[in-house]
Amino acid sequence: MGKVKIGLLQFFSITLLFELGTSLVVNLGMASGRDAWLSILIGCMAGLLMFWGYAYLYRKHPEMPFTAYARKLLGPVIGTPVALMYIILYMNLSGRGLRDGSTMLAMATMHNTPLFILSMLMILSSSYVLHKGTEVLTRTSLVFTMIVLMIGLFSMVLLMLSGSINLLQLLPVLGDGLWPVIDSVVRQNYMFPFGEMVVFTMLMPYLSDMRKGPWVIAAAMLASALLLSATIALNISVLGADIAERSPLPLMPTISKISISDFIQRVDIFVVMVLIIGVFFKMSVFFTAALIGISELFNLPYRRMLYPCSLIILFTSMLDARSFTEHLDEGARLLYTVYPVFMIVIPVILIIITAVRSYFSAPRPG
Amino acid sequence: MKKNKPVRCLLLILLLGLPILLTGCWDSVELNRRAIVSGVAIDRGEGETEKYVLSFQVIVADEISGQNARGISPVALYTGKGRTMFEALANASRQTARFLSLAHVRVLVVSEKLAREGIKDMMDVLERESDTRLTSLVFVAKDQPARDILSTMTVFSKIPANDLVEKLDTTSKQFGYNYRLEVDDVIRGIQLRGGGPVINGVTIDGNREGADTNDNMKTIAPRAVIRVTELAAFKDDRLKGWLTGDAALGTALLHNKIKGYPAVIRHPHEGYITFDVYQSQVELSVEGSDPEHPVFIVKIIQQAAVKESPNSLNLTSPKTLENLSQTLIEDTVQKMRTAVEAAKKYNSDYIGFGQLMERSNPRGWKKVKDHWEEIFAHCEYRIDADAVIRHTDMRNNSFQVNP
Repeated sequence: MGKVKIGLLQFFSITLLFELGTSLVVNLGMASGRDAWLSILIGCMAGLLMFWGYAYLYRKHPEMPFTAYARKLLGPVIGTPVALMYIILYMNLSGRGLRDGSTMLAMATMHNTPLFILSMLMILSSSYVLHKGTEVLTRTSLVFTMIVLMIGLFSMVLLMLSGSINLLQLLPVLGDGLWPVIDSVVRQNYMFPFGEMVVFTMLMPYLSDMRKGPWVIAAAMLASALLLSATIALNISVLGADIAERSPLPLMPTISKISISDFIQRVDIFVVMVLIIGVFFKMSVFFTAALIGISELFNLPYRRMLYPCSLIILFTSMLDARSFTEHLDEGARLLYTVYPVFMIVIPVILIIITAVRSYFSAPRPG
Repeated sequence: MKKNKPVRCLLLILLLGLPILLTGCWDSVELNRRAIVSGVAIDRGEGETEKYVLSFQVIVADEISGQNARGISPVALYTGKGRTMFEALANASRQTARFLSLAHVRVLVVSEKLAREGIKDMMDVLERESDTRLTSLVFVAKDQPARDILSTMTVFSKIPANDLVEKLDTTSKQFGYNYRLEVDDVIRGIQLRGGGPVINGVTIDGNREGADTNDNMKTIAPRAVIRVTELAAFKDDRLKGWLTGDAALGTALLHNKIKGYPAVIRHPHEGYITFDVYQSQVELSVEGSDPEHPVFIVKIIQQAAVKESPNSLNLTSPKTLENLSQTLIEDTVQKMRTAVEAAKKYNSDYIGFGQLMERSNPRGWKKVKDHWEEIFAHCEYRIDADAVIRHTDMRNNSFQVNP
């Protein structure tokens, strides 16, 4: 650990892409209907609070990934199973991300391609990059962040020019009161995508600047929340709350409304590109976190478990559910039953132990 | 090194094999296996088993451009029947030699018969299918089978569907009351509580005989001409009636979709005067604190120019123009009033007053939305219009002033 260092810019871009990831294209926070954009912002606030906790842990143990200090703090008997559970969680999340991506690709463009082929190609490209190392992944993200942002800007301008945006469709704000928004935040938005930042506890030891690092990541979270919120508001103002709510990939029909003088049209391939890029990074970050965990826990070289892991992820994604509906339903239930344990409960326990320990072991004056 | 040899061989084979996957052509349909559909006509067939009769206007690419043209029709019409839209689409493949590609459908024409029966079932596939797109324009074929519309040869475009789209664009800029209505507009319209969408009508003028051959254009006056007509007013998903004249124009004004229209005014002494109203800005609001008795306020600001004034009016005097703009205001108010009354007559809030209510008083809306029809039928509205005549074009007084 600690040999490879990753710069702040790279960390910013990987965080941004990780957060935007699939959330940019999927139907996010739509439980609160027209006010989904608000629930993203509130969810981000909750997410930042959680991240503050992860950053605290990092500052106390700057050289160790999560699995290492979990064992140190909880002792090997409890700590090792906990660390193992986290590795399983990351592989599972990676598999779920892969399933999201491959199914949505199949729905959107490649109707007849078998899911297995799509998933296999995606996991292969991911494991190739990870074979080169985590810092390669982060450097790749820098390039793709630029591409995603350019596509975003381009689509935004084109949508405005084609006059499809009707901001009145966002009204009334909070028509059903605050409750549906809070409900959506509690059920979904603080976990997805912001709670998933727990994975960065595995990556943060690579930060080149310990002091500024967490701030940069938090800034990237905030930036991605604003982008997500703007995208959702855009979807609703183009399609209307109802159509957006019923679309599994609302960005797709939104972009397909672009039509400038009947000449520039059907630019929905951009959405497919954003989808592929997003899924790739979401999946790869979880994947690399699992690999770092394994190599740390079992003292194995990082690359040895790469291909076995990718096979596990591939089959997790395939066997996870029969239909996409089942997959989403499962995801929605995991979001407020299982994930909070990993993203809040265990980190909070670790924070308390760290705080207590550092209080007692602090050098006393005199 | 020797040990690694089989591994290297395996890797090499793998490397050679992978590019086949990377081409991503699992789903590919080459261009010469595709037929681009430019328009779809949806008719009501007989009975349940043939409920939907879909006619696809397919572009014959060779005839549009290229040396391979055989002098045949530039488009071909194929028909499929089925209990559902998708079945009808699949059924049509028995006639077509290529895969029908729905990605470039520009117009969807629904027959009046089907529109009167209800269109909500057929809209589902149009939004669900990933090939079709939301920007296709929707029309209702007035008094005619929809199939006739798409089987009429047109002069200005070899592809009749494109001709229809261009007609809609020109008329929306010049004559006013038709405007672009796309698939998602219709879906949002159907969802208006107590209301419905409005959809452009289309019809064929003239003699249908030989309309689908080149003979149609051999005479100077084409025998049959596709014409964009009245607006079809819907309640929920059913066609209730056709809006013409003032009612249609007022409806377009209330939707704030007017680009320009000719306003004709009858002067008490001087006959007809025509204005080109080139800008109209409409703002709707509601005083809805009592949801049972809302008052809707329509504010409209218009700019116009005198286009035709064949009389002895003194157009150099600002006062005359002031008086004329007053009559123009009255005319606009009259149009909007007719439009709202027409909506009340059809008992359909396609204007979107209910939606306005929801946006300004969401709580009140919840109480009244179930019986919105009753409230809408008796609701009050106020129209504040203002119009200014900016100029009188290239002359001030008519030559009739000093004979």
